[in-house]
This record gives sequence, C-alpha cells and structure tokens, in this order.
Amino acid sequence: MIDRAELDLFRNSLRQAVERYSGLELDAALAAAGWADALEADPPAAAAVLFPLLGSANATCRALEQVFTAAAGIKPPASSIVVMPPLGNWSPPASEIDGRLSVRGVGRPGPGGSQALVVTAGGQARLVDAGDIRIRQIHGIDPSFGLAEIEGENLAFEPAGPARWDDGVTLAQIALGHELAGSARKMLDLARDHALERIQFGRPIASFQAVRHRLAETLVSIESAEAMLDAAGGEPHAELASMAKALAGRAAKTAGRHCQQVLAGIGFTAEHPFHRYFRRTLLLDQLLGSTRTLTEDLGRSVLSARRLAQLLPL
Amino acid sequence: MELDAFRKGLDDWLDQNEAVLSPDHDPPGTLDQQMGQLAKVKRLGYDAGWMRWGWPEHAGGLGGSTILRAYLGEALTARGLVEPGVYSMTEVLAPTVISFARPELTAEVLPHLLRGEEMWCQGFSEPGTGSNLSSLSCRATRTEAGWTVNGQKVWTSYAQYAKRCVLLTRTGTQESAHKGITALLIDMDTPGITIRPLETMHGAEEFSEVFYDDVVVPFDRTLGEVDQGWTVAMDLLPYERSTSLWHKCAHLQRRLSDLLRAVEPHALQAAEVGEVVQLLYAFRARSRSTQHRMANGDSLGAETSIDKVLVASAEQAVFDLVAAGLPHQLVAADEPAGARWRTEFLYSRAATIYGGTAEIQRNIIARRLLDLGDDR
Repeated sequence: MIDRAELDLFRNSLRQAVERYSGLELDAALAAAGWADALEADPPAAAAVLFPLLGSANATCRALEQVFTAAAGIKPPASSIVVMPPLGNWSPPASEIDGRLSVRGVGRPGPGGSQALVVTAGGQARLVDAGDIRIRQIHGIDPSFGLAEIEGENLAFEPAGPARWDDGVTLAQIALGHELAGSARKMLDLARDHALERIQFGRPIASFQAVRHRLAETLVSIESAEAMLDAAGGEPHAELASMAKALAGRAAKTAGRHCQQVLAGIGFTAEHPFHRYFRRTLLLDQLLGSTRTLTEDLGRSVLSARRLAQLLPL
Repeated sequence: MELDAFRKGLDDWLDQNEAVLSPDHDPPGTLDQQMGQLAKVKRLGYDAGWMRWGWPEHAGGLGGSTILRAYLGEALTARGLVEPGVYSMTEVLAPTVISFARPELTAEVLPHLLRGEEMWCQGFSEPGTGSNLSSLSCRATRTEAGWTVNGQKVWTSYAQYAKRCVLLTRTGTQESAHKGITALLIDMDTPGITIRPLETMHGAEEFSEVFYDDVVVPFDRTLGEVDQGWTVAMDLLPYERSTSLWHKCAHLQRRLSDLLRAVEPHALQAAEVGEVVQLLYAFRARSRSTQHRMANGDSLGAETSIDKVLVASAEQAVFDLVAAGLPHQLVAADEPAGARWRTEFLYSRAATIYGGTAEIQRNIIARRLLDLGDDR
C-alpha cells in the first residue's frame, strides 16, 4: 500500500506530466515519475490517481494497456499492441482452434510494435505477428485516442503465459471509470466557469435556477459514480467494477448533456475545448463494456438469480 | 467494541432472539403496530446493550464508534424487525440534542429515547415555512415562568406518539430571519399543545399539525444559545441525510430482493432492472463512506445533500420498478402483500419532498458545493 503523503506527492508529479504531455512523451514522463513502480505496488490506488488526471487533461498514453496487463499477470514485450475486445464488449478478443488463432477487437498500435498481444477465451496470452493481422486506424469520434480495429484469422502465435482475464478487465474498467469521471468533472468545470462569467439579463447565468440545477445534477451523478469507483478499487471485484464503469459512463453522459446546454453556443464551437471531452467520453464508454451493455448484463444476471448480491458491507 | 465483534455478536443475538423480536403483525402494519414493535425492539436491544453502543456514556450509551449504530439499524431493517421511518427519528434527533442540551438534560432524557420508552418528534416546518426554514414564525416569548410558545407547526412526523419535540421558535424579530431563532426541547404533554394528525395518501397518520397556545417551556430546555437556533438546525439537518439513509438503503435492498422473487419471468426488462441495481449500490457506496466519515469524527455538511438526492432517486426507482413488474399487485390486489407494495409505492412519492425537497437539495449543492454564488 502507498501512504497518503506519498500518494499526494505522486499525484502532483503525475499531474505535471499529464498537463504537459500526451502520447509517447507522456509515457516517458510517467515512467520518470515512477508510474510503473506505483502500479506494481498498489494497482487500484495507482489507477485511481492517474486516470482522473488523464480524463481531466484529455491526454492519451499507454497506461490503460499497462493497467490491464499488470492486473492480468501478463508481461508483454514493450510496444506490442494489446488487443482489447470489440467496442461495447468485455469478452476475450481471441479464440483458438486447432492451434491457430482468430482475433477480433480494438487496440492502439504504436511505433515499432511488431507484435500484438491477445488473450484467448481459454485464458491464455498469445503473441501474434502484427504483419499477419488487419489493422484499420479508427478516426471516428475521437481520432486523437489512436484506436484501431484489429482482425485476423488462422494466425500462428507464440505462447505468452496464462492470463487472468477477469482481473485485467476488472482493474481496466475501474481505470476507465476514473477517466470518464475525470472527463465529466472537467466538463462540469468548463460549464461552471462559463456560467459564472456569462452575463445575461444583467446577472451571471449561474444565478438562474434552471442552470444551477443542471450543474447540481451533474455533480450528483459524478459523485455517485466516484463513490462506486472508490468502493470497487478498495475491494477489486468484477461486479463492483462493471457497475462502477456503467455509472461513470452514465455520469459522463449526464455531464455531456447538461454542460453542453449550459455552455450553449460557445460550447458548440470547435475552438472551445468542450467537444474534445465530449468525444473522448463517447469513446471511453464503449471500451470494455458500455453503460448500455453492462447494465443489461447486470439486469439479466440479477433477474436470473432472483436476488441481489450482498456487496459493500460497512 | 470493534465493528467486526459487534457485527458477529449482534447477528448471533438477533438469530437467537428471532422469535421474540419478530413483529406479530403482517408488515408494515399500522402505525400503532409499528410503534409497538419499535418500542419492543429498542427495549430488548437496550437491555442487551446493542442499542447503547455508539452513543456517549453520559447519554446512557456504552461509547464506541457511530459505525456500530449504522450497523445496528442496517441489521434491524434488513431483517424486517423495524420500519426504517419510525426507527430514523433517534438517529436524526439524538446527536444534536446530545451536542446542544445541558449535560443533565441529556442524561435525563436520552436513555428513555434509546430504550424505546419515548418517541420524539421534530418541530421545524410551519404552514408558511416549508423550504424557506429561516422565515419561521412560531414565537417563543420570555416570561417569568419560562419561554411561552405560540404558533403552529405542520408535517410533524409521529407527533401523536411523541413524548418530546425539538422545536424551532422565533425569538428575534421576523426580519431577523436565521439570526433570531431559538431551539427548545419541549415535552409534548405540556398544557396548550393540540395535535391534529393528517392522513397521508398512503393511508397513514404519519404526520400532524401541532398547535401551540401559551405553552410554557422552562428556560433550561433551551438547546444551544438563545437566538442561535439556526446553528442547531444546521447541525441536525445532515443527520437527516446520513445514518438514517443507510438504514433506508438496507430496506430498499430487501424490498428489491422481494420484488425479484415476486415477479413473473419476463415481466421486467434487463436494462431497467440493471439500472435500478446500479443506482441503489451507488447510493450504498456513497452512504457507506458517509458512515465512515461520521465515525472518524468528520463534521457532516452540505455534501450530505448528495446522499439525500441519491437515496430519493433510488427509492423512487425501486418502486417504479415495482409498479412496472407487479402492476396487478399495485392496482388491484387487496391481500396484505399487495397492500404493502401499494402503500410503499405511494409513500415513495414523498421521497423527493420530505426532509428538504429535491429542489432544495440541488440549491444547496449549487450554492455550497459548486460555489455558484447567489441565486438572485
């Protein structure tokens, strides 16, 4: 465990890195700030520090892949593409038949990556040659995230050991939830600042109850997601993590709707930063299960069990 | 006593005494039955010590963390031994009385409340004073015999059962607003008090109009300083949004589980069920951290308005799901189980109204948590 004072120092150095850099430069700055050591020492605590900052700064880096592989117990070669499931999905992206692999998912190719790391439905990590798979760079809603669609059939592979897929998904969902919540908080900050500065009818629009209640509703939604994210990080558990990710996705949607409305015309322009956060949350919501798919899945399991799981004891 | 030892000991005691603790009526029962059941459970719990943990020794308690009280109410509610509404009054009123009453008064009255020998009520709202609490006008005047109280309160929950009331009175000018309010702990059997119960739409005489005509209250029943009653009220309101809400959560989880067992297959869609479960557990996570903050001695404030918004939303979502999944029970069934679903559905409509409306909670969040400045 990391103690509180260490955590504050760590947060400060990560904040400086995240506010200054993105992409490969940020990966290097995070390495210099001790991110890898923190991730090894206390994965949920480390993720809870970095990912809200990433969301707030709209920065990208390879931390998601690192969190996933650390929690899944995989040590991939540096710069390999870590293949995640297709959008909206959280099942392993590869299946193995007669010693060959089929892969369908998404991932972020970087420079120098000659291999892709996949996990099979049987819980085995495998390395495939990047030249054997089809990689389509996704521009889509958020080109700056660097995501690509990845597909391949009948692939040869090298074994890379067993993988704890569910553990990897659990921690990666918590990390994504924190990033969504961080983005949602940033949208709320942008809308709050605008509401206090924008004068109409002789008063700041923040003085109008319709505006205040939209922003209050946004804060409620974010804080409820954060409560579940903290709980899920304290006792990493698949059901808590998927609920936390769904709640964070819903909070980001709530923030997007209300903050866009409060920002009004200026928030609809490309020059205002709002749209970058809005775009990012739409993409993050789809990674490792969306609010919609996770919620339906939870509902199905509760309906078939006909009872609630006893979670979150005092 | 540590929480784990308390949990184990209490659970064992509840298992061993299930027969004597269980209500002898179909839940939820009439208000008379609920009060009788509450008194029985509190007396047995007090005599066995469980009801005393988490309260200070000078108040008749055994000391220990407030987290023990949070677990006690959760266990009693989750097992259906008490209704969370009637149980909540102790958690809402007692902490503030302990903080602001003279120590001798606390020592005199608190044990009766904890042992279930007394019910207490809260006299805040008035016909002309709902959301705008600082405009209250029920007046307390200094006389030789003590304070003389004249005025009217309304929405006073369980007033007809109450032995005492935490009453907010006007002691300054009407214009003094929150600066001229004094809090009193009054005895409800004092001459001059008239209680007229109001029937709610869910069929209970849950709250009352209370009329005060020349009601004499000794000066030593003043809570805190004269004209500083706003401080008392502001201390109390977060307790309305903390431990009692944790107990409400246990009740909602129990009833949602009951619903899952009662519905026909395919009566509910997976997505709507999943969303309600998420709302409820998000509230549980939030409230759990509030219970721990309170146990660590953090002072609770405006942030509890978020807890309140979440529990009200979760309660209405649970009973909207009841309405979707058990439409026949809600509309047409007259046997006890159906009547209970209907009663609780109707009661859930008040969740965004009582204890500070959903709008007031959002005003507090906007002003105090988002620092959005004045709203005019």
